[in-house]
Amino acid sequence: MLLFTAPRDALLAPLQSVSGIVEKRHTLPILSNVLIEKKGDALTLLATDIEIQIRNRTTAALGADDVAITVGARKLQDILRALPDTADVSLTLDDKRITLKAGKSRFQLQTLPAADYPRLAPPEGEGVHFTTTQKAFKKQLAQVQYAMAQQDIRYYLNGLLLVVAGDMLRMVATDGHRLAYAASPLVGDYARTDVILPRKTVVELARQLADSDDALEVTIVGNQIVFRFGHIELISKLIDGKFPDYERVIPQGHPKLVKASRLALLQSLQRAAILTNEKFRGVRLMLSEGSLKLVSTNAEQEEAQEELEVDYSGDALDIGFNVTYLLDVLNNLSANEIEIRFNDGNASALFGLADDPDFKYVVMPMRI
Amino acid sequence: MPSLPRSIAHLDMDAFFASVELLRYPQLRGKAVVVGGRRAVAPIEGDDFPHLRGYSGRGVITTATYEARALGVHSGMGLMKAAQLAPDAILLPADFDAYRHYSRLFKAAARAIAPQMEDRGIDEIYLDLSALNPAGSHDGARALALELQQAVRSATGLSCSIGIAPNKLLAKLCSDLDKPAGITIVAADDIPTRIWPLPAKRINGIGPKAAARLEGLGIATIGQLAAADPAWLQAHFGSRYGQWLHDAAHGHDSRPVVTESEPKSLSRETTFERDLHPRQDKAELSAHFTRLCEQLAADLARKGYLGKTIGLKLRFDNFRTVTRDQTLPAPTGDARVIRRAAGECARRVPLERRIRLLGVRASALSRRDAQPEASFAQPLQAELFA
Repeated sequence: MLLFTAPRDALLAPLQSVSGIVEKRHTLPILSNVLIEKKGDALTLLATDIEIQIRNRTTAALGADDVAITVGARKLQDILRALPDTADVSLTLDDKRITLKAGKSRFQLQTLPAADYPRLAPPEGEGVHFTTTQKAFKKQLAQVQYAMAQQDIRYYLNGLLLVVAGDMLRMVATDGHRLAYAASPLVGDYARTDVILPRKTVVELARQLADSDDALEVTIVGNQIVFRFGHIELISKLIDGKFPDYERVIPQGHPKLVKASRLALLQSLQRAAILTNEKFRGVRLMLSEGSLKLVSTNAEQEEAQEELEVDYSGDALDIGFNVTYLLDVLNNLSANEIEIRFNDGNASALFGLADDPDFKYVVMPMRI
Repeated sequence: MPSLPRSIAHLDMDAFFASVELLRYPQLRGKAVVVGGRRAVAPIEGDDFPHLRGYSGRGVITTATYEARALGVHSGMGLMKAAQLAPDAILLPADFDAYRHYSRLFKAAARAIAPQMEDRGIDEIYLDLSALNPAGSHDGARALALELQQAVRSATGLSCSIGIAPNKLLAKLCSDLDKPAGITIVAADDIPTRIWPLPAKRINGIGPKAAARLEGLGIATIGQLAAADPAWLQAHFGSRYGQWLHDAAHGHDSRPVVTESEPKSLSRETTFERDLHPRQDKAELSAHFTRLCEQLAADLARKGYLGKTIGLKLRFDNFRTVTRDQTLPAPTGDARVIRRAAGECARRVPLERRIRLLGVRASALSRRDAQPEASFAQPLQAELFA
């Protein structure tokens, strides 16, 4: 029974859009498969890891019969990728085996029944719904996602807080040492809703969203969130946990304001980072009028010194940080100038942008 | 260097849990009593003891008195099955705190006589008597065994059975030959007359499955096993186990008495009264979960350890068991940290069935006192949410 015949990329592109979440190791063998469903001329590919499900629906299928089957996602993708990109590919299903043909190549793959494939039902009932653009959401994700924790036992930090309130969409990520916050306007007036997106969902969204003004529809119902954009529907479970109170740790009224060139500071820090202690990654910042000095030393007592001109006219300050936390924020911004606010050597530093009051980054110091 | 013949004792408390209960309820002496199931909600008052009859639940017998064993019930048997065999037997709930208390008492009493002691659990120990009975004489061994029994009795009021032999394997086998309150002494020369007539399954290490296979091959006694060609045994049971069967039947065992043993892990687990649903019974599960973590933290504190790896064990209603573990950045003995880590582990298990058993384990143990103090020279990253 013919499922599909088309240029290679007409199948490979939608497959790649869903296969990213397929885990290499899992408890259910069928989870390494992708569900292929043909109904009329609609071709649907769907993958899941139980926590997240991605569906791609295109209209490319041929043949009169409707069919649904699952096949190993990675193998199918590896085969398609290894074929010449100009190849025409056909998929046929006969007696529980899928045959993929392209030119003189021919592959037979085992299948598992579609009925056994676990699917997340799209949530039902009243929820929160908003629309934004893929570009805006992607940019906001990029501003905060690097600050998420990885495999922290405080599981709710291994994700990103999304707050829909009033006419604003806020995103917060933190690993307990630094915190990134970004806000953007929404059309509408929403009662406050806080949800935590799992890390994997955030990474997948950042990978798939385009830099385009095309719409992104977001629906939050119960413990699920649904993103619809282009051909994609991504359903994710939410992390059930209490995110720490981010507003409490964003400092107000730190008196020492430094304005610096983002790129100059980034490059100086990158050089100083070479001679930081590999384990602790500490770098000292010494601030005086008009100048910021950076000093790092490593376990072998090697030392790096950098000095750059900055806009600063307050008292001298000597404070240490994990250089990774500083590089992260500078790498993920695009502005030319950044503003850093300090209080004293034991207090956090607040990074911000002169032209964007909706971005904030807080980092705690390191006693070196 | 040829080693001198050793003298190893295995001391096994007689019907330990039940005997401890009889200390508390002396009026039950001579009656069929089984210990098992949950701790009673209310203390037993007067002589109003619960009977096995009418028991419904999923508890198992942990110990039965010898009077109860005569009715065909034994430890490990489900209480409902036992109720059919011995409906009039008295059922007492297990009180592990009391058993641990008496366990410490009898071990201290034995160690005062024979310091070379290996702890084999709550109710049994091995003792190396070689230095105390250097001649290896039968009379010397008997005198030591009597002294041990007397010391255990005066410390606890409980009786024990002792086997003395040249190694642990034979000593363990011997302690079981004359229960309760028996003393069995076997020398290497006695093996053909005393040991070989016994059924092969008496050897600790030949379980029901191996015994059945041996029987199928025409081997019922230890003597028949000893007579079997070792190569033939290895062909049937694999090289390691085959060789071990041969050695065991000849009474060869060179394992030392291990006096100092560092635990590899500490764990707590519980089987629920009824299988709990991961969502519908979430609150109940969560309460059990927290309590297990608190108990584990208390165990760690009492024994002076910290664990760096926290593990979770789940058994589902279909008896499938899964474990997950997580290694922490630093060793912990804190119940909340354990709970968090074990909770993280739980998130990695698809919870699609009812849960029968829940367990929490701490491994990668380190001594509490071995923790280095935070050095002033080390950089210290400040926390946002202190």
